[in-house]
Amino acid sequence: MSNEVEILLVEDSPEDVELTIRALRRNKIANEIQVAEDGAEALDFLFCRGSHQNRTFSSPPKLVLLDLKLPKVDGLEVLAAIRADQRTKAIPVVILTSSKEQKDVIKGYSLGVNAFVQKPVDFEQFGDAIRQIGMFWMLINQAPPPGAFAESKAQGV
Amino acid sequence: MTSFSKAIAACALMILLGIGMLSYRSTVRSQEDREGVMHTHLVLEKLQAVLIDVTQTESGQRGYILTGDEKYLKPYQAGRDQVHPNIEEARKLTADNPRQQDAIRGLKQLVDARLALLGGRIEIRRTTGLMAGAEAVRTSDSEESMEGIRERINEMRSTEERLLNIRLEAAIASSRKMKAVIVLGNALATLILLMAGVVIHRETGRRNLAEQGLNRAKERLERRTAELSETNIELESFAYSVAHDLRAPLRHIAGYSNVLTEDYGPQLDGEGRRHLEKLVNGAQKMGRLVDDLLSLSKIGRQELSLEAVPLDALLREVVEEVGRECSGREIEWRIGDLFNTDCDPGLMKQVFVNLLSNAVKYTARRKHAVIEVGQTIQNDKRVVFVRDNGVGFEMQYVDKLFGVFQRLHKARDFEGTGVGLAIVQRIIRKHGGRIWAEAEVDQGATFFFTLGSPENNTSQEIGLPVKDEVMHV
Repeated sequence: MSNEVEILLVEDSPEDVELTIRALRRNKIANEIQVAEDGAEALDFLFCRGSHQNRTFSSPPKLVLLDLKLPKVDGLEVLAAIRADQRTKAIPVVILTSSKEQKDVIKGYSLGVNAFVQKPVDFEQFGDAIRQIGMFWMLINQAPPPGAFAESKAQGV
Repeated sequence: MTSFSKAIAACALMILLGIGMLSYRSTVRSQEDREGVMHTHLVLEKLQAVLIDVTQTESGQRGYILTGDEKYLKPYQAGRDQVHPNIEEARKLTADNPRQQDAIRGLKQLVDARLALLGGRIEIRRTTGLMAGAEAVRTSDSEESMEGIRERINEMRSTEERLLNIRLEAAIASSRKMKAVIVLGNALATLILLMAGVVIHRETGRRNLAEQGLNRAKERLERRTAELSETNIELESFAYSVAHDLRAPLRHIAGYSNVLTEDYGPQLDGEGRRHLEKLVNGAQKMGRLVDDLLSLSKIGRQELSLEAVPLDALLREVVEEVGRECSGREIEWRIGDLFNTDCDPGLMKQVFVNLLSNAVKYTARRKHAVIEVGQTIQNDKRVVFVRDNGVGFEMQYVDKLFGVFQRLHKARDFEGTGVGLAIVQRIIRKHGGRIWAEAEVDQGATFFFTLGSPENNTSQEIGLPVKDEVMHV
């Protein structure tokens, strides 16, 4: 492994993926970004299985940007799986979605999400939101030490 | 029970009571009749006793005159002793009958005369012997006076018997009449009770039927309400997901236009850049529309969380917020006293924000804008009003004022999505109130609203307007 993945972007829309990565790059926030186009792929990556079986739990992403409406396994299910396992439960997760429907917001927080952001329609505002999220979680926030949770026994999934 | 069946029951009761009274009276009457008959018998008995007494004195006197034996004077003396008490008793028994009283007085005289005669003969026999006594019997008109007594007594008896017959006949007639009245009355009362029973039965049947009908109608209504409420919720969530799903492609249009401007802007000429700008503006405007539509739909689905709210404090807060965004404008705020009321403070704040923002917007061309908020009373209801001296509008279009995406001004003149007043109306309606407006072109506009009894159930927010609004999407 050359570079460690800094951000896992779980997003099924290629346009949103492109625009999000563009905003992150422009602000020189993250170099290594992994994209998962559905919930199942995201779980494979996080739990080092399937096409990601060569990964280890000792190098988790610093941030998961999680869309809610996803094929196969939806965003809230992915969040629940992350929080249910001792090895992944400390990973910072930010929900980034078109919806700000109250029941999704409540469900997200009750599952232990770190932040809930609605994607603004206006591109300037969208870019600004991405920049602020990246700045905070990559530069300001202190991430959990790598490997601190890696050896714990699996409790779910 | 209807008044008709009540009348029938009352009638039956009256008849039964009448029969009871008649029966009682007839019982008393027949008791009286029986006593009368017994009384007559007593009188007859006494009269018979008087006759026997007189006859006894008579035969005693004869025996003595014939034999001179003193033992014959015994029955004579007994008859003499008893006759007066017996007459006296007969007199008392007929005290209520003047005719019989007269007859008894006559009888007494006759008896006294007879007794005096008999006493005289006995005296002659005792003093002068058999022959003189027999002579006295023969010569005196003795038998005539005895005959007079008998006749008088017989007359009295027949009078009493006549009376007895009359009484008996009357008693028989009245008891016959009574029987008829009781039988007929009972039959009538039974008939009326039967009729009342039939009427009540029919009425109960009708009422049951009506109740069943009512219950069915109620069930239908409840079902319909539930269906409508469900449809309403479906429509609201349809509107929501449409609006929601529209956001993603919009974001992409806006985003890629921006990318184009950033990456290829220099390569485009002025016209190309102007077209790109239009693209970005269009996407932004549609974004605002979608956001407004989302909030409108959200209000429809939202439950009211009611609390006692002082509208004064709420209004001051909004005036401060709205006023802050009006730097460079000269606005005179005239804020009157408002009242406290039960409402959803978040939504009520939205009402004031939208109305005051409108007032600010449509007074933009006034050098000195005046915005007035206060309360007044109309038809015993408290009415809140928001008045401005802005551009106003033509009253012929007032119906369109509260429609979704309806605008009475050109976008070039005044920006807006046409959802603000629709949101205000929806909130006011949810609170059981009403909103209306009055205006004149160039003379300003006034919005009035009332707050009624707020509903807690979104299902009551049913109706075609929601559908119409969705159709506009």
